[in-house]
Amino acid sequence: MTILIYILQALMIIVGAPLLGGIVGKAKARLQRRQGASIWRPFQDIGKLFRKEDMVPPLASPVFRAAPRAVFCATAAAALLIPVLRPAALLGGSGDIILFVALLALARFFLVLGAMDGGGAFGGMGGSREVLVSALAEAPFLLGLTAISILAHSTQLAGIAEWTLRQNFFDVSAVRLLAFSTLAMVAIAETGRLPVDNPSTHLELTMIHEAMVLEHSGPSLAFLEWASSIKLGLILSLLVGLILPWGMATDSSLAAMALALAAYLAKMLTLAVVLAVVESSIAKMRMYAVPDFLGIAAATGVLAVVFTVFGGR
Amino acid sequence: MNPIELVHFAAGKALSSSAVFLFLTVLLLAASRRISNSIILFALQSAIITAQVMATAYTEKSAEAWIVALMLFTLKVVALPSALIWLVKLLKAQRAMRTSVSSAKGVFIAVLMIFLSYVAVQPYARESRVAEDTLVAAVALILTGAFLMVSHRMALMQIIGLVIEIGVFFDFLMGILIMGIFAFRIRDTFEHLDVTRLRRLRG
Repeated sequence: MTILIYILQALMIIVGAPLLGGIVGKAKARLQRRQGASIWRPFQDIGKLFRKEDMVPPLASPVFRAAPRAVFCATAAAALLIPVLRPAALLGGSGDIILFVALLALARFFLVLGAMDGGGAFGGMGGSREVLVSALAEAPFLLGLTAISILAHSTQLAGIAEWTLRQNFFDVSAVRLLAFSTLAMVAIAETGRLPVDNPSTHLELTMIHEAMVLEHSGPSLAFLEWASSIKLGLILSLLVGLILPWGMATDSSLAAMALALAAYLAKMLTLAVVLAVVESSIAKMRMYAVPDFLGIAAATGVLAVVFTVFGGR
Repeated sequence: MNPIELVHFAAGKALSSSAVFLFLTVLLLAASRRISNSIILFALQSAIITAQVMATAYTEKSAEAWIVALMLFTLKVVALPSALIWLVKLLKAQRAMRTSVSSAKGVFIAVLMIFLSYVAVQPYARESRVAEDTLVAAVALILTGAFLMVSHRMALMQIIGLVIEIGVFFDFLMGILIMGIFAFRIRDTFEHLDVTRLRRLRG
């Protein structure tokens, strides 16, 4: 029974992730007073791409076709670590925050490898930008996660969620607040949203993620698009699970699970709308301003870690 | 939990957690690159301080503290920010601020100042009746206010730094008046508000 719940909650992120992208897109369209595409559009896009032919550049090596599948597998494996309905996960016993960050890094490594193997000029440009952004984002990411895990005396995501669940909601803790602001900034950079990267542009000078997937087509592109929407769902679920887990089921009864599901969906919907509002109200920053943005994230991350010593809460 | 208990609980929490939000506004102020954003952040910071005073007034049941809270609200949350926004409009100052450090470095320095105030306050925290976090926030506000004043080049930002540094007392009204007049005089004489250009006055 419990193992079924673990599989279910991981599948919910993996299968439901394109829906999240659809909701963000719809909310952005409504904010611009457009009708916008249906929220199910990402599923149709991915389905269409799976039925198409996989075009490979003549000079590309087998890595070109293997990379998108590896990206998808690594990202989906990271989803098995996230506590969603219960403060526990399928790999919760054996995997921790380090494994989570490492799986995301592995996915990114293959993504960049596939982009460079295509041989196009944009692939190399996008790949090098992606590596720059992620190299700068990884330190604050780990700092933010470390601060919360010191607080919770557990490096496992599920353990942290369980500890946070036992805290009083009104007891605003300095460490959690600072870690949240760090992780929120990192989440924007990691998932390639505005103001770091514009997910809806194909303007050659500004794109990061889109430049990397430019050479891929058919099922390969479908895997990459799916993986990138899973990553968005993954990181938003991480924020919800670590910072705002209240509403998670403490036992496996059906009523508690239903409540947890409703709470999770409501929190994710709120985050999606917040993301749409933020993306509609700010402009993309220059590439050279990104290190400064992530420097601020690193500074708050350092403050969060040191506060665990000073404030102790 | 009945409503009275809830209010009491909320007041206690406001006291203990407002310091955290003060730290956050300090960091945001150090990172801010727009004069209008800084003014809004300053109003937000003043609102947090007002909430803190109100919570103290509620738990200590002191009428004087309620009056202080009222004055704080009218002066620092409403009057001063709107006066500053009016001043920005009147001076036609540039929206982007020029600083001597980048925003990431500014935030790092603000973080160091918060640590410094923790270290400075630690010996006194045990003897004092106030919560340690609140005392730290007070010292940190003074330090970061001074930092904002030295790191910014535009005369308007120095006014904001000054009002953050001075805190709740009311003699700063005089200071604001004088600083406002100074800003006008600097603008009239040099046609800009960049204080670094005042170096040219040397003979």
